Amino acid sequence: MLELKNISKTYGKGEVKAVDNISLEVKPGEIFGFLGPNGAGKTTTIKMIVGLLKPDSGKIFLDNIDVWENPLEAKSKISFVPDTPQVYDKLKGIEYLNFIADIYDIPKDIRQERIEKYLDIFQLKDAIGDIIGSYSHGMRQKLVLISALINDPKLFILDEPMVGLDPRSSFQLKEIMREKCNEGKIVFFSTHVLEVAEKLCDRIAIINKGKIIAAGTMDELRQHSKEKESLENIFLELTENE
Amino acid sequence: MSRILALVKVDIRNTFSLSTIKNKLKNRESIVHIVIVLIALISLLPTYYFLVSGLSNIFTVYLNVGQKSMFLLTGILLGQMIVLFFGILYVMSKYYFSSDLNILVPLPLRPKEIVGAKFVSLLIYEYLTLLPILLPFIIIYGIKSDVNILYWLYSTIIILFVPVIPLCISSIIVMFFMRYTNIRGKRDLLRTIGYIVLIIALITIQLKLQSIAERAVADEDFLYKLITDSTFLARRLGIVFPPSMWAALSLSDLSSMSGFLYLLLFVIVSILMFFIMLFLSDRVFFKGLIGNLEVSTSRRAARVRERDFQRSSPPYIALAMKEIKMLVRTPVYLMNSIGGVIIVPIVMILPFFMEDEESVNMLRSVLRDSQQIINLIGVAFITFLGIVNSVCSTTFSREGKNMWIQRTLPIKVKDQIVGRVLASIFVQIIGIIILYGSLAYLGALTLEGIFIIGILGILGSIPTGEIGMIVDAYRPMLHWDNPQRAMKQNLNVLINMGLGSLYILGIGLLAYKLLDILDIFIIYIIIALIFILSSLVLYKVLKKVIETTFINLE
Repeated sequence: MLELKNISKTYGKGEVKAVDNISLEVKPGEIFGFLGPNGAGKTTTIKMIVGLLKPDSGKIFLDNIDVWENPLEAKSKISFVPDTPQVYDKLKGIEYLNFIADIYDIPKDIRQERIEKYLDIFQLKDAIGDIIGSYSHGMRQKLVLISALINDPKLFILDEPMVGLDPRSSFQLKEIMREKCNEGKIVFFSTHVLEVAEKLCDRIAIINKGKIIAAGTMDELRQHSKEKESLENIFLELTENE
Repeated sequence: MSRILALVKVDIRNTFSLSTIKNKLKNRESIVHIVIVLIALISLLPTYYFLVSGLSNIFTVYLNVGQKSMFLLTGILLGQMIVLFFGILYVMSKYYFSSDLNILVPLPLRPKEIVGAKFVSLLIYEYLTLLPILLPFIIIYGIKSDVNILYWLYSTIIILFVPVIPLCISSIIVMFFMRYTNIRGKRDLLRTIGYIVLIIALITIQLKLQSIAERAVADEDFLYKLITDSTFLARRLGIVFPPSMWAALSLSDLSSMSGFLYLLLFVIVSILMFFIMLFLSDRVFFKGLIGNLEVSTSRRAARVRERDFQRSSPPYIALAMKEIKMLVRTPVYLMNSIGGVIIVPIVMILPFFMEDEESVNMLRSVLRDSQQIINLIGVAFITFLGIVNSVCSTTFSREGKNMWIQRTLPIKVKDQIVGRVLASIFVQIIGIIILYGSLAYLGALTLEGIFIIGILGILGSIPTGEIGMIVDAYRPMLHWDNPQRAMKQNLNVLINMGLGSLYILGIGLLAYKLLDILDIFIIYIIIALIFILSSLVLYKVLKKVIETTFINLE
C-alpha cells in the first residue's frame, strides 16, 4: 500500500506552497489517477514519492517502508516514468535497458524475456540497437516505459505518460497498467487526459493549488458535483470554484 | 550587429545563470555553498602568491640585463598562447556542440551572427581565465618601472584586445577543421584523433619557431645589441607570435610615437581578424555544423542479438561501463579526459624532440642514473593526471538532466563511488601507457619503473579522484546546455586541482625528505600506505556528501 501522510512542500522561502498537507492512500490492485490544472502540484507530489524532492514535512510509506528513511529498499520496489523522457543520449537503447536491469539485479533469462515482451508490444525492436540520441520523443518515451517495467515494480508511477505516445502505444500502455493492477500492483499516474482517467482509474484525486479538492471513485466524485455527467465537467467545476 | 548583441545578452545570461543568482543570494543554503567555494578558491592563493613572487624575481633578472620589455612579452605571449590552445576546445563545443544550436539554426539568422555572438560571449569568458595570468605581469612591470598614467591606459586597452587574435585564430582553425571532418559515419572518432594531432602539431610549431628565434638571437652580435637596444630580445623572440610583440613594445615604448603605433597596429589587426573570422564563418560554419546535429541510425545493426541480453554485471561495473561509454562517445568529454591524458605526457617530451641528438643523449644518461627519482616523479605525474582528466571532478555534473535516473534507481552509494572511480582509472591506464611510451623514448623506462609507476599511479589516482568527487557531489553543476560546461567550464575542476595539488605536493615533500633517510622501497611502501589510508578516509567523507546531496537536490 502507498500512503502519503500530511506531506507538504514549499519552494523559495516558503512563498510558494506547491503541495499543502496532502494525505492519500492507494491500495494494491488499484489504478490511481492524479488530476489537476497546470502547476497544481502533481509533479511535485510524484517527485516526492520517487525520491527526487524531499518533503518539508509529512511521511511517505510504501508497504510500510518509509520512502525517505529507507530509500534503497523503497526504490527497489518503485519504477518511475517522468513527464519528459530524458535519458543518456549516447547509449544504445539496449545498453540503457541492460544498465537498468543490472542495477535492479534482474537475472539474464528474466530480463531477456521481459525486454523482448515489451519491445514487441511497443514496436521498438528495430531501433533498440541504435543510439538513443537518434530516437524521436515518442521512442524515448517507450524506452523509458520499458525500462520502468523491467523490474516488475510494486509501484508503477507515471507522470503524464500518454503525452507523445502514438494511439497504438497509448492503448498498449493502458492495457499494461490494467495488467499490473490485476497482478496486485499499484499504478499511480498523473494526466491531463480526462477520458483516460475516467475509463481507466479505480480512484481519482483532483489537486489544485497544492491541495486535494476531491478524491474517490468516479461515482463518489459525481456526488461532489452538480454537473454529474462527465469527469470533464466535474473537473472544470471543482477547479474553478477553488 | 544589434542581433549579435541580442544573442550575446541571452547567451551570457544563460552561461553565467544570471537569472538565478538573485534567488540564490536569498537562499541561506546557497550562501553557505558560495562561502565554502570561496574558501576552497582561497586555498589556491598560496600557490598563486608563490608563482607571482617568482615573477617578480624574473622581472629583476630582465631589468638587470636591460631587457625588461621581455618581461611584458613573456606575460602577453603566455596569455595569448593559453587562449589559442584552450580556445580550440572551447570554440569547438561552444560553436558546434551546444544545445542552443537547435533553437538558433532554424531562426532567420546568418551564420556570422550566430558565430559573432558565440565569439563575444567566449571572449568574456576568456577574460576571466586571462586576468589572473596577465595582471601580475602588467602590475609588476608598472610598479617596478615607475610608469605614468598612459601605461595604465594602454595596458587596459591591450588587456581588452589580448584574447581577440588568438580566439579568432582558434575559431578559424576549428571552423575549417569541422568543415573537413564532417564526414558521415566515423565523425566523432575522426574529430577526436584530429584534435589530438592538431594540438600536438600546434605546440610543435610553436616550439620549433621558438628554437629558431633563439638560435637567431645567438647568432648575431649578441652582447652589443643587448646593451644598445633595450627591446632587442623582445623583438627577436616576439617573432614567434608578432601580436604579442606589438602589445609588449607598445607598453615599453610608451613615451615615443612608436609605442602608439604598435598599439594602433595591435588593435587594428585584432579588429581586422575579427571581421575576417566573421567573413569566413558565413562560408564555412554551417557546412561543418549541419549533419553534426543529425544522429545517424544504422538499420543493419539496430536489431539486437541474443547475446545482447546475456550480459549482466554487478551495479558498480554497470555504472562504470555507462560512464566510460558516455565519455568515449561524447566528443567533448573524450577530448578533455582521454585527450588530456594522451596530450600531456606527449607534450612533456616534445621539447626533447627539438633538441639535437647530442643533448638528448646527454639527457638520457642523466636520466638513467636517477631512476628512483624518475619513478617518484612518474607516480606524482600519473596522480596529477588523475586530476587533469577531470573524470571524477565532473562525474555528477556530467549527469546533467539525466540525474533523475541516478536518484530514482536503487543504487548503493558504495556502487556509485566504486563505479565512478573505476571509470577514472580506465582513463588513467591510457595515460600510464602513454607515459611509458614517453619514458621509453627518453630511455628512462625500466621494469621496476613500469611496476612502481603503474601500481602507485593507480593507487594515487583513487584519493585524488575521491577529492574530485567530493567537490562535485557537494555542488554538482546539473543545468547546462553544452557538455563543455560540465567538464571544462566547471569550477569544480579548478577546486579539485587546487586541493589535489596540495595533496600531491604534501606527499611529494614527504617523499623528498625521506629520500636521504630511508631505502627507496620503504618509501614506495609508505606512499602506497598513505594512498590507501587516505582513500579510505576520503571514501567515508564522500559517502556522507553523496547521501546528503542525493536527498537534498531539487
